[in-house]
Amino acid sequence: MAIELLLRARDISYSRGKRLILDRISFELRRAQITTIIGPNGAGKSTLTNIVNGLIGNYSGAIERGPDLRIGYLPQKVYVNRLMPLSVERMLRLTRVSSDAEIEQALAQSEVGYLQQRQVHSLSEGELKRVLLARTTLGNPDLIVLDEPTAGVDVSGEVRMYQLIGELRDQLQCAVLLVSHDLHLVMSQTDQVLCLNQHLCCSGLPESVSRHPEYLALFGPQVSDSIAVYAHHHDHVHDISGEAGAHHHD
Amino acid sequence: MTEWLDDFLWRAVIAGLIMVAIAAPMGCLMVWQRLAFLGDTLGHAAVMGVGLGLMLQLKPIFGVLAVALVIVFSLSRVSSFNNALSETTLAIISHTGLAGGIILVSLLPSPTVNLEAILFGDLLATTKGDLLSLLLTTVLLLLLLRHHWRAFVAVSVSREIAQAEGIEVRRVQFLMYIMIALLVAVMMKVMGVLLIAAMLVIPTTSARVFSRSPEQMVCISGLYGLAALGGGITSSFHFDWQTGPAIVISATVLLLLTLVVTRVVKPDLD
Repeated sequence: MAIELLLRARDISYSRGKRLILDRISFELRRAQITTIIGPNGAGKSTLTNIVNGLIGNYSGAIERGPDLRIGYLPQKVYVNRLMPLSVERMLRLTRVSSDAEIEQALAQSEVGYLQQRQVHSLSEGELKRVLLARTTLGNPDLIVLDEPTAGVDVSGEVRMYQLIGELRDQLQCAVLLVSHDLHLVMSQTDQVLCLNQHLCCSGLPESVSRHPEYLALFGPQVSDSIAVYAHHHDHVHDISGEAGAHHHD
Repeated sequence: MTEWLDDFLWRAVIAGLIMVAIAAPMGCLMVWQRLAFLGDTLGHAAVMGVGLGLMLQLKPIFGVLAVALVIVFSLSRVSSFNNALSETTLAIISHTGLAGGIILVSLLPSPTVNLEAILFGDLLATTKGDLLSLLLTTVLLLLLLRHHWRAFVAVSVSREIAQAEGIEVRRVQFLMYIMIALLVAVMMKVMGVLLIAAMLVIPTTSARVFSRSPEQMVCISGLYGLAALGGGITSSFHFDWQTGPAIVISATVLLLLTLVVTRVVKPDLD
């Protein structure tokens, strides 16, 4: 494959106490590709992303990162203390210096430019997720890691969120590592699926994973059917509140 | 040149001003990171430090610093990345330190120490030596704050994001603990060990009402600290109240006024 390799994980295992959380996981992340980790609750999805972005260090196996790999990270839960006054703009400048133009562009890309001056603790869950998505795109990241970016977002907002992630990938040419538990929603945007349940059950293109016996055993054939439901052409847009524009299902 | 420092009232004012300058930024960070209770714990346990210091015939401040450092070192070993310090652990340390300290101090020959001054502060008895150590520690803390400000604020917002984006969260956290230990050791003289946390929390809470950014909150909380200091020293002078408690009561009155006025004037302010 000619596409630039950004990160290679080799035989990653991780235990907490006596409990094995991850068992010899290997995969590669390449530039401009979206990799989705799916798996049931407790499968080790967040643990794996935390190993990739450096939050967890005491694993066995090896993570090879490209030189100066820049990572943007959207955690599963962000709870901003209400005693902390913080504007959205300042939230974006938390760990690095960015120009006004960069801030505006990042927010506009995630369709939340109008939130720039708002206080972070006054945002809804969905708005906060978009703002956090915008922050991950600052500073030209090579890889953005999104841990359940749609948790707390309604279904139509969720569809739009995944489209946005696809658009960001196209514009920034960065790799995306995405944690999700609904393959059917992310499928059209995904290049590689890692189906995780402590060990790597199966991996590859979304179409092949969705027919893999281990995937079906985990998620059942109903889930596999629902992929077909979402395969129809979706030509209307949803705004952040989930209200759709003109509907033209054909 | 420093003749005016011979006046105890001037020394008290200067010591108070220095304390306000450092209590504002440290108080904000501690409130954001939910560490205010750690300040309280170290304050209470400082009594043990005073007792040990006197027994070993050291200046009490060294005893306090030693005990505070031992506590923060131990705490940084037991606190994990994700878990904040447990309230239970802090309460146990806090009250054991206070109880043990009071017994230690009572074992000493009586004229060596004024327990009341330790517990509630004795701003008006500030010596030139106290002023110097207060000033040096405050300058050191302010330099550290300036140098690590972005990291401190980032860690206050999200430890996960900070760590993933290249900030060594554990190191920043440990530095913060050490700085709190230093802060408690110097503030003890002014506020007394039982009232230190009040000056870190009350002006900060008043300032939160008007603040739109972290830095703004630090500045406004400095102004509130200043006003509380003024009110405290004045009422202490006129009514012969103890200074530390008088400062705390002034700060609380200001907080209540702020809350009432903002409710009346701008009920929708959040």
